[in-house]
Parts: sequence; C-alpha cells; structure tokens
Amino acid sequence: MSSTYILVADDARIGDLLTMASGSTTTAVVVGRREVADRVAAGGVDSVIWLGAPAADVPLEAYGPAVAQVVAEAAPDLVLAATRPADRVLAGAVVAATGAQVFTMVRSVTVSDGSVELGRDVFGGIAQEVVRVTGPVVLVVDGGPDVTAGSAVEVTERAAEVRPGVTVVEEQPAERAAVDLTRAPRIVTAGRGVKSRDDLALVDALAAALGAESACSRPLAEGLGWYTHDRYVGVTGQHVQPELYVAVGVSGQLQHVVGARGAGTVVAINADKDCPYFAEADYCVVGDLYALVPALTEALS
Amino acid sequence: MKIAVAYKWAPNPQDASVSGSGAVDWSRAKPAISEYDQVAITVGRGLADALGAELVGISVGTSETGSSMARKAALSRGLDRLAIVTDDDWAGADAGRTARVLAQVVEQVGEVGLVLTGDSSVDLGAQLVGAVLGAELGWPVVTNVTSVAGAAGELTVSRSREGGTQSLRVTGPVVLSVAPDAAIPTVPGMKDILAAGKKPTDVVEAAVPPPGSVEVLSTAPPTLKARKTLVIDGSDPAAAAAELVAALRADTVI
Ligand SMILES: Cc1cc2nc3c(=O)[nH]c(=O)nc-3n(C[C@H](O)[C@H](O)[C@H](O)COP(=O)(O)OP(=O)(O)OC[C@H]3O[C@@H](n4cnc5c(N)ncnc54)[C@H](O)[C@@H]3O)c2cc1C
Ligand SMILES: Nc1ncnc2c1ncn2[C@@H]1O[C@H](COP(=O)(O)O)[C@@H](O)[C@H]1O
Repeated sequence: MSSTYILVADDARIGDLLTMASGSTTTAVVVGRREVADRVAAGGVDSVIWLGAPAADVPLEAYGPAVAQVVAEAAPDLVLAATRPADRVLAGAVVAATGAQVFTMVRSVTVSDGSVELGRDVFGGIAQEVVRVTGPVVLVVDGGPDVTAGSAVEVTERAAEVRPGVTVVEEQPAERAAVDLTRAPRIVTAGRGVKSRDDLALVDALAAALGAESACSRPLAEGLGWYTHDRYVGVTGQHVQPELYVAVGVSGQLQHVVGARGAGTVVAINADKDCPYFAEADYCVVGDLYALVPALTEALS
Repeated sequence: MKIAVAYKWAPNPQDASVSGSGAVDWSRAKPAISEYDQVAITVGRGLADALGAELVGISVGTSETGSSMARKAALSRGLDRLAIVTDDDWAGADAGRTARVLAQVVEQVGEVGLVLTGDSSVDLGAQLVGAVLGAELGWPVVTNVTSVAGAAGELTVSRSREGGTQSLRVTGPVVLSVAPDAAIPTVPGMKDILAAGKKPTDVVEAAVPPPGSVEVLSTAPPTLKARKTLVIDGSDPAAAAAELVAALRADTVI
C-alpha cells in the first residue's frame, strides 16, 4: 500500500487531507500542542508522530528541519499539508530536504506504483490538467474541516530539535472571533466598490436580511484592513461554496472569483455593465450599489 | 550586510487566453514585476536605508527576465543592483526548483543577512518559494510579515496570523515573506527610470536543476458551473430589487 504523511501545524482542520489520503497508509506528523496530536490520533489516521510541546516563545515554523527529517527518513509516496501559513513552511522544509515536487490547487490524487496522478487547476484557475508525477510529491491544499473523533491510535512522541534564530516576543489576539466561511450557506461579499468603512453598514444590513456571513475581496482585508484576513475570498483566501453568493462592488478578477466558483447561485451587483464578474454570475445587477443594496435589503424584509 | 529581494517577472493569468482544449496562450499577457513583489521591494528599500545596507534584487526566469525592460522595471523600484539567473528552458518551474536556484544566487551575492519575498507570485500564487528557500539556506522563515524594524542581527518582525498578530525577535539570517499590505509600492518616476539604466546587473551562473518528471496526461478549460448571466437593470433600484428577490425565490435559493 502507498504511504502518505500529513503535516499538521497545531491545527486539526485536516479533514480534506484525510479524504485525499484515503486508500493509503497515513501518518500525521504533528507540531504544536499535545491536544492537537490527540485529536488527530482520534481522527482516522494510522499513526501519529508528535514532536513534543513547543516552548511558549518558539514559533511552529522552527520545527521545519525536524519535520523534514522525519519525512525524509520515511520516504513516503505523498506528503500533504494544509494551505495555512505555518503548514506551508513545514511543507517547504520537506520539499528542500527530499527534492520532492510540490503542487497546489489539486482536486484529485491517485497514488499508484511509483507515480502519482494529480488533477489540478493551473495558473490560478484559468485551466486544469491531469499530470502523472514520478518521484516524491508534496501537495499543499485546503485543509478542510476539523477531524471527527473516532477511535484513537497511539501518539508516538519524538524528541525534536528546533531551529534557533526566531523567538516569539508578544502575541496580540484578534479583535473579532475567527469565522469559517467555507461552510456558510449564504455569503455577502463587499468589494472596493464600497467607498468607506462606514458604508459597510449597508452591506452588513443586506447580509443580516439574508442571514448571510459577511465576506470581502482581498483589498478590503489587506491594505484597507476593514475585515480580518479569514474573511476574504479568493485564490489565496477562503474557498467557499455557499448556496448563495452576493458580490457587491467586486470586479471579478480571476484571483477573487476562483475562490467562489463552488457557489450555487451567484449575484453580482456592479455599476460597470462590462465587469468580468458578470460573465460568471447568475444575476448581474447593473447599477449603483448605494441605491441597490438598501433597496434589496428593504425588499427582503 | 546586504538585503536581497526575490522578485518574479511574470504575466497575470487574467490576461492569458485559454483554448477549448485547455491550452494556455500567453502571447497577449505582458509580464511585469509580480504585484506583491513590488511590496517586498518597497519594504526592502525602507529597511536598507535604515540599516545602511545594499538592496539586491534576485530573480530566476527565462531570458525575458534579463531584458532591458524587465531590469529597468525592477531597478526603478528602488533596488541598488540585480543578481539574476536566466535559462531559456525555465518555464514551468515549481517552487522547489525556483528556490534551489535562488539559494545559489543568495550564496553568490554574499553577505546577505536577510531575504525578502512577496506573498505570492501572480502566475503560480503558491506562496511557497520563500519557505523552500529558507530551508535550502538553512535559515528560519517567517511569512505574512507586516513590518520589520531594528538593526542587523537583531530585527523585530510583526506578522499577522489567524488568531491575531505576533511580534518576533530575529537574530541571524532569515527569509521574510512580506504581506501584501506591509507597504504601498512606490510608483517609479522619470528620475528613477533614468537612474535604473545606470545600475548594475550580474547575470549569475547557477546549476539549474533539471525539471522534475511531470507528464501532462490531459488539459482542459476550467470546469465552470453554467451560469444564467441574466442582466437586471438597476436604474430603478426598487424594481430591480423586487425582480431579483422574485427570481431568487423562484429558484428556491431564499
Ligand atoms: C497573487 C495574487 C493573489 C491574489 N489573491 C486574491 C484573493 O485571494 N482574493 C481577492 O479578492 N483578490 C486577490 N487578489 C487581488 C485581485 O487581483 C483583485 O485586485 C481584487 O480582487 C480586486 O478587488 P475588488 O474587486 O474589490 O476591487 P476592484 O477590482 O477595484 O473592483 C471594484 C468594483 O466595484 C465597482 N464599483 C465601483 N463603484 C460602484 C458602485 N457605486 N456601485 C456598484 N459597483 C461599483 C467597479 O465597477 C469595480 O468593478 C490577488 C492578486 C494577486 C496578484
Ligand atoms: N522565479 C522567481 N524568481 C525570483 N523570486 C521568485 C520567483 N518565483 C517566486 N519568487 C518569490 O517567491 C514569492 C512567492 O512565490 P510563489 O511561491 O510562486 O507564490 C514571490 O512573491 C517572489 O518574491
């Protein structure tokens, strides 16, 4: 049977990785808290290697070389990691140590004798391909939901050396609680067509009327800082699949749209009748969002 | 100390066209300094000025990366010099290969204490080259960096995380991947473009690892859900809202 290693950086949201690894013997290499290792051990893997409790001032990324060593010794056919920041750094360490080829945006995997067949999106989602890769393969893909607890396998603790050079001095928690947009049934997304932070109230009112989560395009989370980072949708943000996705003042650049292609029904509200989003929307409402959004909120209540 | 900034000369896939068989045609997509690498260069310039360091742009790509237009585009954004590798068979490189070549460039430039990368490249967007590069160099890697301050050998780095922000102390060489909002890229003026023509570029000889074994079995355009693309005129907002709500109800979406 083929063997798959799953890298876990203190976060048990690896449900989709387990699905990808099904049919393979799975080993999770867990960095971070013991409780995460325990959770993963009860989540449906065949074995768990835990690299020990990190000191408070040691960042998770400092375990990169130790993780890479564990994986290099085992030489699995496939290594999976979630698209979260620390997990990526662990994956990068494995790529460097094993010479593995690394792929992102992968939809399907079949491991057969000495090669791995991948179905994946290329160049941010403008096309897709099926490839056969020979040699070790690392995939960095959406982690998916938290594992569901079942019967637990044993957690093997391995002593690990951490890479020195970076220490945590201070943590400032986020003001707002984290959201999980990936399972929201309805989403209203604000784009740069919304001119000021105060105007978000309009969009939030629409979201409330629809019972939807609020989300945004990347510039509103980064740059403007109006939303937390876990609320932006797109290639480097959340990949969502709500039944209803309402994009308000979002132009529809590829890097955004690709994150919401799984949506059931797409409504785009935009002043520009030629905006790219209209090519990928079910309802293309042409006009000023400042008039349309309140009218829509009103019509819903 | 020198500070290196990894930048990519690449086109935006948004501007490429894709045939019915999934073949990508880049001929109409013009390459540029990848959007987020411009942020890394701006952060690097500020830091280099504060530390009195030299700011070296490093890149690997096809011969286009070495073209006068590409070099000027990079140098006019505030880099002091370039050290690049060009290889005409470069297209299609993954993060591992890219990082292996960039690690050699960093070694050859010498005395580099800090490498900055962008958040993600415009064409691949893998957010991985920095992570592999750090491992190749044997240096720690910090991603989503929003600010860097301090002195050589004792940097204070802030980064954003899902649970908030973190402040880190960095002693020794490091690879920092800069968040897209860490700085607003400066737009080069005429003076910068003229000055760029006088700045040096070293074309570095590096051992380019052979591409990995990847056999493309099939290509296809993206599988998109069929969308109705029904246009609703919003010039009468109340009527448009009523029409949309009726349509969504008819679809049993609401
Ligand atoms: C490597 C890389 C990765 C990226 N990843 C992501 C990502 O994950 N997610 C993401 O979102 N972006 C991402 N981007 C950025 C992306 O390319 C776009 O720049 C971004 O999505 C644009 O955001 P926007 O649509 O809100 O703004 P704009 O493109 O500025 O669009 C604003 C829209 O609002 C409309 N508008 C203006 N005023 C009104 C009004 N009064 N009423 C109605 N409509 C109005 C305009 O017609 C326009 O269409 C990435 C970019 C790069 C290079
Ligand atoms: N060919 C390249 N040459 C130089 N730097 C690169 C290259 N490819 C990627 N990078 C750097 O690595 C970052 C992340 O790229 P990626 O992993 O492709 O998303 C980019 O923002 C650049 O700073």
